[in-house]
Amino acid sequence: MSETADKVLQTRGKTRELDAFVVKASFDRSGSACAFALGDGEVAILRQGADDWQRIRAHEGAVLALATDAAPQGWISGGDDGRFYRIQPDGTVALIAPFGMRWVENVTSFTDGARTRLVACSAGKKLAVFNAQDEELKVFEHPSTVTGMVFDGKGKRVAASHYDGASVWLVASRSDTPRRLEWKGSHIGITMSPDGDNVVTSMQENSLHGWRLSDNQHMRMTGYPSKTQALSFTRSGKWLASSGADSVVLWPFFGGGPMGKPPTELAGGDGINCTYVACHPKDDLVAAGFADGLVVIADIASARILPVAGPGRGPISTLAWSPDGAHLALGSESGFAAMVDLSKK
Amino acid sequence: MADTLNPPGQVPVTVLTGYLGAGKTTLLNRILSENHGRKYAVVINEFGELGVDNDLVVDTDEEVFEMNNGCICCTVRGDLIRIVNGLMKRRDKFDGIIIETTGLANPAPVAQTFFVDDTVKEKTRLDAIITVVDAKHLPQRLIDSAEAEEQIAFADVIVLNKVDLVSPDELAEVEAQIRRINKYAKIHHATKGNVSITELLDQGAFDLNRVLVHAPDFLTSDEHEHNDEIRSMSFEAEQPIDAERFNAWIGALLAEKGGDMLRTKGILSYEGDDRRFAFQAVHMMADGDFIGPWKDGEKRVSRIVFIGRNLNRPQLRRGFESCQVA
Repeated sequence: MSETADKVLQTRGKTRELDAFVVKASFDRSGSACAFALGDGEVAILRQGADDWQRIRAHEGAVLALATDAAPQGWISGGDDGRFYRIQPDGTVALIAPFGMRWVENVTSFTDGARTRLVACSAGKKLAVFNAQDEELKVFEHPSTVTGMVFDGKGKRVAASHYDGASVWLVASRSDTPRRLEWKGSHIGITMSPDGDNVVTSMQENSLHGWRLSDNQHMRMTGYPSKTQALSFTRSGKWLASSGADSVVLWPFFGGGPMGKPPTELAGGDGINCTYVACHPKDDLVAAGFADGLVVIADIASARILPVAGPGRGPISTLAWSPDGAHLALGSESGFAAMVDLSKK
Repeated sequence: MADTLNPPGQVPVTVLTGYLGAGKTTLLNRILSENHGRKYAVVINEFGELGVDNDLVVDTDEEVFEMNNGCICCTVRGDLIRIVNGLMKRRDKFDGIIIETTGLANPAPVAQTFFVDDTVKEKTRLDAIITVVDAKHLPQRLIDSAEAEEQIAFADVIVLNKVDLVSPDELAEVEAQIRRINKYAKIHHATKGNVSITELLDQGAFDLNRVLVHAPDFLTSDEHEHNDEIRSMSFEAEQPIDAERFNAWIGALLAEKGGDMLRTKGILSYEGDDRRFAFQAVHMMADGDFIGPWKDGEKRVSRIVFIGRNLNRPQLRRGFESCQVA
């Protein structure tokens, strides 16, 4: 199995043992480089066309969050040292804001490609939004710790998950009252559909909960044997991919779904848990990683599976596509990292 | 060495509870400053009385939530789930985790967190709950605070602190008060938290044999205690236990009375198995696993301990005894 499963990795991949938990992989907006955030506080950067993995010291403790910057190049990161950093394309680290002893557990950014550039992070119950000059625009307070955050597709709203639901804030609003989406329990992650109409959270009780904002319809998606760590909508908005079962679980967001519709399950059947999913930035494809280290790409319409990396390198903890969808980065809990070139040769 | 319920490689977690002013933070700083060559990640909350001197300190709000699993008493510390997950990203940087709770905290949510979350269960093991009590003020605390009583009920180890401030008679009385609530915890007398850390860390709270051997329960009567005070009792069964019968009995018991049952722990000899089965529950949340084998020549006696309110001794005894293989 491994030999054939590893063919893509061997023929099209650049690999490295980074000797620390790979917390998150992220390409920058230009796609020119991929960064891998590590549990030892360092960030490893692999640039397109280079073989050298630059390692830089970013945080004192573990890096807990990494995302692409709002600028064309570079990244933003958060750590358990309470720091919110910018990582410049050359690997220089600059402080955006400190948050004392609170862990900076989530970071994200938005740009319209022109003048609007936003970066945001969460630390404890606070969600802070900064402009292109790193000036603090807003600090939103929540009833309990923010466990996940996401901008909508236009950068107008930012949504945060927490106990008993989620809060949707208007970034530019003068009023500091969010739209509260209520559902009892501990919500541990959040995503929003590309059209901005559906907010979906993952829950401690091994399920997903969703709200359709246009008509306040609730959605409950249950049946997972374990917690969902990763949620990802396809670019088309038709499918929501999720981890937490022994297959990639895809909920249909069309034809009246997901209410009353069973999910589509791909790449399952061997009893190994899917630990991470990431949808392709253009097509209805999903990359999925498993607890045994297996990484595959699944074509949702045809259910065809392309193996990318075989088992044996530790549970997959992160997957990331380049913006053009030609490269896939992956990382594992035991420190394995790779970037695979999937473009036509 | 203590038995462990869980496989090796798991991070031991010690929970430190105690009423305000009992000397929790002093004890914590003593543990951290002792020259034991080990590194601990310490989880505290910002209302701590004193500073904590350690490299890896996590400041948290105690965020309790109720699980949507139909069991009303199942409350969990969501902040601890996040923190354990975060700490596991730098697993090689410390040897254990110490969680200090606020003085007013009910210990149940902390303990239940270790039953509820898969990652927490897989990567860590609850080593012991240590409760620090103030010898001088405990009698008053037990009158005016339900939490003080629950903190004693949940304890595996009790540090009876400030013993220099009470007379021998007062000390005997306060110890008797503790024993009325929890017969099975180890009690250490201390002044300014001067307890050897070998008595506190790496306790393997599941070494029930040790606990039970030192606190036999033969002499207690079968009277039915019917009040809201917390009591503890234990039972033995000499015949092997039928696993199915035990599960049916304990499942129904915890479902019905889980609100009153603070802690349940047992070491069981299942029929046809040479390994000891360790069972434990906090309210309705239960868990169990096989641990090491019975020793050669060791008498295979199953034992179970209940700590809680409204415990019906004859009913519990009959119930446990009826789980034996006929």
